[in-house]
Amino acid sequence: MPLLDVQHVTKDFGGLRANSEISFTMEKGELIGLIGPNGAGKTTLFNCISGLHPVSSGHILFDGEDITELKAHEVARRGLARTFQVYVAAGDLNVEENIMVGCFMRTSSRARARARAAEILDFLSLRELSDYLVSELPVAAQKRVTMATALGSDPKLLLLDEVAAGLNPSEIEEILVSIKHIHHELGVTVMLIEHVMELVMKISDRVIVLDSGQKIAEGNPEEIASNPAVIKAYLGERYVKEHASEI
Amino acid sequence: MEAIKNTFDFSDFPRIDLIFAGAVLIFLLVFPALPHSSFAMATMIQFLMFSLYGMGWNTIGGYGGQVDLGKAQYVGIGAYTTAVMLIRWDIPFWASMPIGVCLSVGWSFIIGYPLFRLKGHYFAIATIATSLVLKDLFEVWDFVGAARGLEISPIIYQPPDFYRLIFKEDIYYYYILLFFFLLGILYINWFRKSRLGFHLRSIKDNEEVARSLGVNVHWAKVKTYAIATAFVSVVGSFHACYIKNIEPEDTMSLPISILIALMAMLGGAGSLWGPIIGAGILIPLKSYLKEWLGATAGLVGIDLIIYALIIMAVSAFEPRGIWGIVEKIRRRKRN
Repeated sequence: MPLLDVQHVTKDFGGLRANSEISFTMEKGELIGLIGPNGAGKTTLFNCISGLHPVSSGHILFDGEDITELKAHEVARRGLARTFQVYVAAGDLNVEENIMVGCFMRTSSRARARARAAEILDFLSLRELSDYLVSELPVAAQKRVTMATALGSDPKLLLLDEVAAGLNPSEIEEILVSIKHIHHELGVTVMLIEHVMELVMKISDRVIVLDSGQKIAEGNPEEIASNPAVIKAYLGERYVKEHASEI
Repeated sequence: MEAIKNTFDFSDFPRIDLIFAGAVLIFLLVFPALPHSSFAMATMIQFLMFSLYGMGWNTIGGYGGQVDLGKAQYVGIGAYTTAVMLIRWDIPFWASMPIGVCLSVGWSFIIGYPLFRLKGHYFAIATIATSLVLKDLFEVWDFVGAARGLEISPIIYQPPDFYRLIFKEDIYYYYILLFFFLLGILYINWFRKSRLGFHLRSIKDNEEVARSLGVNVHWAKVKTYAIATAFVSVVGSFHACYIKNIEPEDTMSLPISILIALMAMLGGAGSLWGPIIGAGILIPLKSYLKEWLGATAGLVGIDLIIYALIIMAVSAFEPRGIWGIVEKIRRRKRN
């Protein structure tokens, strides 16, 4: 049984079809990259899966249960966590307290939430930032805090929305290490939206490509990099030339 | 066990805050023994009452960021419950106050459940409207004395009466209120560290993120609105016994609602000390302004102009109020 089973999901905003008949499955322990040009419907798909948007048609099964009609907080409590491109849990709380907001999903005890937050601080090497307000931190650190907060809820599946956007190469490297850490050591299944191809191609087991709301390709990174439709819609000739040796 | 520890644990505040809070507490405890005018005593009682109103408002308005401008309706429900029960059936304060809380909280669910479908300004306007409608109803409802209001005649009772809270001297009222004030601080100290307290701060920042972290946003708001209401209702009941003469106009009108919100907004919305600081500044200001200027023809209502100026200044310079400025300076020093 797949952990996540997305079946013919369509999402309309008025006359605009943001997602059209999208289907895919994810096995437990996989790491999948979701790529595509701006406006392809990647974030909309995340919003549908996590219950923030009701789908127009189609079904979403998580861990064997139909979660299509569930509200966002109910989906989250079943173990499906996500991050947002630009938002943190609470800007005027410090890093530790932000992570605690996530931990409070599994416990009402402050002591237990705090203990769990401490583990995550160490796990993602955020200890030295623990007392800073999140709004005071640079973007790269904020992105790691959003991941840490989502982890606080002990998810089975983690959806990461552009956690590497706007970061410099060394920061991207740090994020990459964090994602690998979460995936390998905690055994969390991960799906990530990303424009930074180096990152996606390096860590994904499988890549799904969206364009204009449709799924145009799915396969392992090598297949995707040489897929003519993907090159035309998104990667461009230049990327293929530059990375010809790797493929 | 953990809840008790959290209630009494203030150790996350810097020592200077605790020393200052201790000094204020000692002052509050000995104030009646110091030489004072009856006017100063009345002002202190108002200060304690509005601190408590502000602490209640601060849960939903400060921590939760939902600007509620209709708290006066619950002052009214609390005050009228206690007054009606005492006058008609001779039910003492300690029984009528919890009944008032139940009625207020019940009403808050009826109001809050649909109202929290609204956001931002629309929510604020809707809270004003519900409060004004309730006030209008009370003004034509004969059972509660309509626009004339109700009067608790102290002559009928034998003061000091600790069951009915009927006293001749203000000092009794002062200490009973101080007891509620301290309970209020302990409760908020627990609340701000609770799961609900964390959830609210997340809701204030971004509701979608809160949802994705498993927070039932609507229910958390309705629940917190009820907590805020309970605070206000208790003080409303007290108000009836203390003032002894209640009318819809001076318990449920819009200026009361605004003043309640202003305590926390000026002092520091979303902080433990904020409402107390706000009340400590605004209530003496209000009392003395009324005393000095209010009687002069043409200057009636000048306090309202000052509130308006404060609201503008706070929203323009530091939305987190005086406590926000203090914290900003502290952070700058540390970093």
